[in-house]
Amino acid sequence: MAETQAGTLVLEEVSKVFSQRGGQGDVRAVDRVSLTIEPGEFVTLLGPSGCGKTTTLRLISGFEMPTSGRILLDGKDISHRPPNKRDMAMVFQSYALFPHMTVFNNIAYGLRVQHTPRHDVQQRVERVLELMGLSGMGNRRPHELSGGQQQRVALARSLVVEPRVLLFDEPLSNLDAKLRVQMRSEIRNLQRRLHITSVYVTHDQVEAMALSDRIVVMNNGQIEQIGTPEEIYRWPVSRFVADFIGRANFLSATVQTSREKEATVTLLGRTVTVSASALLPPGTIGTAVLRPEALLLEDDPTLEQVVVEQTMYLGSTVEYIVRLGEQRLIVVDADPRPGRVFREGATAGLSFEPETVHLLAEPAI
Amino acid sequence: MRTLTRNHRIAEFRRITQDPVLFVGLVIVVLFVIITVISPIYAMVEESLTEKGRELFERYLTSPVYQRIFRNTMEMGLLVAAIGTALGFVLAYVQVKVAVPFKRLIHFIALVPIVSPPFAVATAALLLFGRNGMITYDIFGVRYDIYGLDGLTLVLTLSYFPVAYLNLRGMIQALDPALDEAATNLGASKWRVFRTVTVPMLIPGIAGSFLLLFVEAIADLGNPLVLGGNYEVLATRIYVSIVGLYDTTAAAVLSVVLLVPSLLVFIVQRYWISRTSVVSITGKPSGTPQVINHPLVVWPLFAAVMAIVLLIVIIYGVIFAGAFTKILNVNNELTLDHFDFVINGYGSEAMKDTTQLSAIATPIAGVLGMLIAFLVARKKWTGRHALDFATMLGIAVPGTILGIGYLLVFNGPQQITLPVIGTVTVIPKLTGGRAVFGGAAAIVLVYIVRSVPAALRAGVAALSQIDPAIEEASVSLGADNFGTFRRITLPLIRPAFLSGLIYAFARSMTTISAIIFLTTPRTKIMTHQILNEVENGRYGNAFAYCVILIVIVLAAIGILAVAVGTTTGAEKTTIEGAA
Ligand SMILES: Nc1ncnc2c1ncn2[C@@H]1O[C@H](COP(=O)(O)OP(=O)(O)O)[C@@H](O)[C@H]1O
Ligand SMILES: [Mg+2]
Repeated sequence: MAETQAGTLVLEEVSKVFSQRGGQGDVRAVDRVSLTIEPGEFVTLLGPSGCGKTTTLRLISGFEMPTSGRILLDGKDISHRPPNKRDMAMVFQSYALFPHMTVFNNIAYGLRVQHTPRHDVQQRVERVLELMGLSGMGNRRPHELSGGQQQRVALARSLVVEPRVLLFDEPLSNLDAKLRVQMRSEIRNLQRRLHITSVYVTHDQVEAMALSDRIVVMNNGQIEQIGTPEEIYRWPVSRFVADFIGRANFLSATVQTSREKEATVTLLGRTVTVSASALLPPGTIGTAVLRPEALLLEDDPTLEQVVVEQTMYLGSTVEYIVRLGEQRLIVVDADPRPGRVFREGATAGLSFEPETVHLLAEPAI
Repeated sequence: MRTLTRNHRIAEFRRITQDPVLFVGLVIVVLFVIITVISPIYAMVEESLTEKGRELFERYLTSPVYQRIFRNTMEMGLLVAAIGTALGFVLAYVQVKVAVPFKRLIHFIALVPIVSPPFAVATAALLLFGRNGMITYDIFGVRYDIYGLDGLTLVLTLSYFPVAYLNLRGMIQALDPALDEAATNLGASKWRVFRTVTVPMLIPGIAGSFLLLFVEAIADLGNPLVLGGNYEVLATRIYVSIVGLYDTTAAAVLSVVLLVPSLLVFIVQRYWISRTSVVSITGKPSGTPQVINHPLVVWPLFAAVMAIVLLIVIIYGVIFAGAFTKILNVNNELTLDHFDFVINGYGSEAMKDTTQLSAIATPIAGVLGMLIAFLVARKKWTGRHALDFATMLGIAVPGTILGIGYLLVFNGPQQITLPVIGTVTVIPKLTGGRAVFGGAAAIVLVYIVRSVPAALRAGVAALSQIDPAIEEASVSLGADNFGTFRRITLPLIRPAFLSGLIYAFARSMTTISAIIFLTTPRTKIMTHQILNEVENGRYGNAFAYCVILIVIVLAAIGILAVAVGTTTGAEKTTIEGAA
């Protein structure tokens, strides 16, 4: 398949307000979203249900019009261009295959709409069928295919027109868990190979981490954070992000000194230097994010003592729920050696690895 | 926020104009509805509010004659609505929930009155139950006077109960059987389930059918003309005002009186009943429906249903027998004279004209219906609800009212004066003497206007079954709105399109009240000819007309089904080789 042209997508302060009938209670589904997506980049919009992911995607695709703000594709303002003139193709959650057409005609649809010569249509469809592992299924009807195959047809139908931007709205959420993981890596491989700018919507953080070059975490119509999967996991900018991406414990930490991206804090009785998402004046009480694997339980009476409330032995890891004063924490021991597993009801000393701690500007609750 | 909304509307509008085909379609549809539906109704209301109209209003309000006419109309409407809904309910309930034999046959026969031409049932009833009735006199020796409320109630109920039957059958089928099961599991008897679960759930459907039948009954013109006798109703008085007295103002005033309850019912239907009935239906019935098979329930109900079926069979038997005999019950010699009269003689012109005009109106109505359904259900624009409402008015107002409106609006050419060019005729004279096409254009328009609403509803219902993402996928792949409509939407709503076409043709062939004022000597319409024959006592000819009309409609249904196709291509079929 030929290299598709560029595909730089820019959102400038884009907002979308749905006015409810009756005038009252307008919904601000997308709130001043600004974002630049580079050619060939795979960006995921991630967030809880109702946070405005789908609406953002529909604004990009042209099925909704922004209430304010601009959308640019390779420098051209396309905010008011109709969706069929945007050179983008969308893969839907429901697949949205044309039920009255064969697989072949489904895939050929976009090419025929563009009046591609008959011979080319035949060739390109065959090639995509092969690429997607659908060879020999051209004459089937969509309802004669399994869910995974239907999803492949939907993807093939979008790929064959070689759009500048591919859009996905939770395309895997109708598949069972195993197939989902498999399709996930197929999508990833294809996208890397074809180098098509892609915007992917999901509420599944694992899916987002597995697929994306960058993740855009959304909440209440706004962008909370943009970053690579690692950045988002290691240096979340807010409790919301830390909580949404993976699991997190929040502990209060007193700032001693603060530099850019770094702070020295007192945490669980120790003074350590940790990464920080903002400059904080000395004396401030911030929130330290500790991933479960950053916490350690040790048989050491000099450490802060916690009570083990629950022990779950999962084979390669052991998960504990422990109580520290009023707070419950999750601790994951990724290297449980025999004899080092704490039983429920036992007391243990709580320790941590400072390198993996991240400080937020929000006060702890 | 207000300016924001306005800008938004402008943007919305700009977006529609960006797609020229869609925009042109929208403009055509809106203009069509304004010219053919809104303006006639408006003209009629306007006429009734002229000084003369207002005087008439006052006169009628205080005149005992008119008060009586009004009371008669309401009385007849309520009776027909009550009995018709009850009949429809019994048939529907038995059909879905009771173990009786011959269900398919019962269903088929119950639907027969829907495709019957006007006057057929009334005339047959006259021959069966009148002074010399084959049943009342020949069998029971009674010289029964069928003219008046009793006869009217009988024929109107028989003509319109199928509407209630279909309505309620759909709702009873959609009732979640799990509810029955739950109630039965809780120890309730079947009677209790019926009383406390089934009936309350169906209240919206029952109310809806009642209102529908009420409106149909008070708007009906054909039956009161034949069987009314001294029992005058609004529809017949309107007819006399135009045909006998040439007094359009009086007709307009009376029409407004008829229009008010019709519109009220339409609005209640639309904004109350359709809304509540959605709530009560789960859409995905689960569990096995409980069938009632207690003999003490089954057989009395079966007998009642069979009585209705038998009545319908006898009435249609009379229609066919009457068409093939010299004078039924007087001279029962078999003859084809009546058919000769219709096919080769005086009636052939009407037969050809009516079929031709209906055939012209049918595809237009079908396509318009689907197009409006698409614009209303799939495109976001301010005014789509108004378009839906205005289109539905075409059938919500009684036919006589539409006919008078057409007389008022199209009896002269519609002209506008433009600078430079001068006076331009936008719409030529469509009705009365020297109208274009001998008045045929107006009749075709009325056929379309009366048929589009059913096609629209069928289209909207079909569209609501189709995931909008399928159409969005097409657009996302580069197709414009028109291409999407043609390649994706239309094929997927093909069955709705077909039923829209069938309805349009059948409706056009059998309509009377809306076109009775619009026929001209140059354009003869079968239903109007039937009325002439009935009024002159030539029942044989009338019945022959009816039989031919039914045959034409059935043939057209067959042709349409073959031409359009009954499937979408999306149906699940087992193909050899497929796993
Ligand atoms: N067409 C619409 N009309 C009114 N409100 C809408 C519409 N579409 C979405 N919303 C509202 O906008 C918000 C964001 O919705 P959506 O973008 O679908 O969220 P997500 O895809 O993240 O679950 C929700 O509150 C939703 O109710
Ligand atoms: Mg969504």
